[in-house]
Amino acid sequence: MSVLRIGHINIRVLDMDAAVGHYTNVLGMEKVHEDENGNVYLKGWDEWDKYSVILSQADKAGMDHIAYKVSSDAALDEFKTKIADYGLAVEEEAAGVLPFVGRTLRFSLPSGHVMRLYAEKELVGTAVGNINPDPWPDGLKGAGVHWLDHALLMCELNPEAGINTVAESTQFMIDVLGFYLVEQVVVGPEGNIQAATWLSCTNTPHDIAFVGGPVSGLHHAAFFLDSWDDVLKAADVMAKNRVKIDVTPQRHGITRGYTIYFFDPSGNRNETFAGLGYLAQPDRPVITWTEDQLGRGIFYHTGELVESFTSVYT
Amino acid sequence: MIGTYRRWTISIEDTEEVFFCREDQALLSGMVAMGKRGIPSGCHGGGCGVCKIRIAAGDYEVGCMSREHVSREEEASGIVLACRAFPRSDLRVEVVGKLAKNIRNPSASVKKYGFV
Repeated sequence: MSVLRIGHINIRVLDMDAAVGHYTNVLGMEKVHEDENGNVYLKGWDEWDKYSVILSQADKAGMDHIAYKVSSDAALDEFKTKIADYGLAVEEEAAGVLPFVGRTLRFSLPSGHVMRLYAEKELVGTAVGNINPDPWPDGLKGAGVHWLDHALLMCELNPEAGINTVAESTQFMIDVLGFYLVEQVVVGPEGNIQAATWLSCTNTPHDIAFVGGPVSGLHHAAFFLDSWDDVLKAADVMAKNRVKIDVTPQRHGITRGYTIYFFDPSGNRNETFAGLGYLAQPDRPVITWTEDQLGRGIFYHTGELVESFTSVYT
Repeated sequence: MIGTYRRWTISIEDTEEVFFCREDQALLSGMVAMGKRGIPSGCHGGGCGVCKIRIAAGDYEVGCMSREHVSREEEASGIVLACRAFPRSDLRVEVVGKLAKNIRNPSASVKKYGFV
């Protein structure tokens, strides 16, 4: 019984046409479905399940929910018991509540973010198939992202009021869902307040991350590319499309990843992230970044924290 | 293609900065294009709320904005997000977003715990 990987993210958008244009033309995802409520479903070319992004029209931007795929239908029952025993309210939803998905569990993290777990989603295959495949398909648009890689969630952090939902959500992911801590940032006069964490359920440096902020929200959804060349090409694609870039191509100290931060037309932050960083394993010593080197951790080349990283999110 | 949109003059009361902005350009875009910094610049998509301003004088049109940051009542009273406002005359604006404190009282924005 385990969590396999990130399954999908449901993002709220203010203008659906502009949003679909962005995720298809700039990121290069494929629109695979639109439901009767106008929600749009998109897939990365290198994913084998039906979709990894759901766009929903709303009057506020941000994340509706994030979903992770688990190893089996039986695992859902075991997780339901563990989540309830931990003290969180958890509902079971029937197959089809999410299109093309089997039954799901729905609950809220201590930081308030809605999470779902599922075991089944319709299998459609990657764009290159699994018999004698080419390494990449023809006809890719824009940045041609491989897959939804991870999300970074802002979690209410107010040490003076005794509130640290970064630490609480982190502990839940470890104790109940079996993720392991890979990297963390510690702050405060004694350096003992966990202000940001990166956790894995696979062997990459993060499948989910949490960063402290005044209120909970979505910091970014990240999509995978292979190399610096792909990242630099993606930056050109963004400029051609007049996309608002938050941070130009840079390396992160944390995870070693190569990155561009940019915004979708509704102001939700995206990342194109490349590089496998290192082999993450449960027995690998946890990497800790100290408050004074926080800028270096996020932006390795400049070592300077950009105001927008901590203040601008949905 | 060379556009033929009219260009207006925008004044930011808080910093006494002045910049030009075309009718097809959002106020925030016009500001950053001229290298000014008086209005906090964030997502440029109406979603994050940091560029919240009050239009003190002038005509404008506005696109969709997250209701998390600007209510219908505020919008009706001339409070908008600068990234979704397009000028139709010269404008005077004042910054009202939460990052405005950073301009008026810089020590209030010191992050004692890294991120907060």
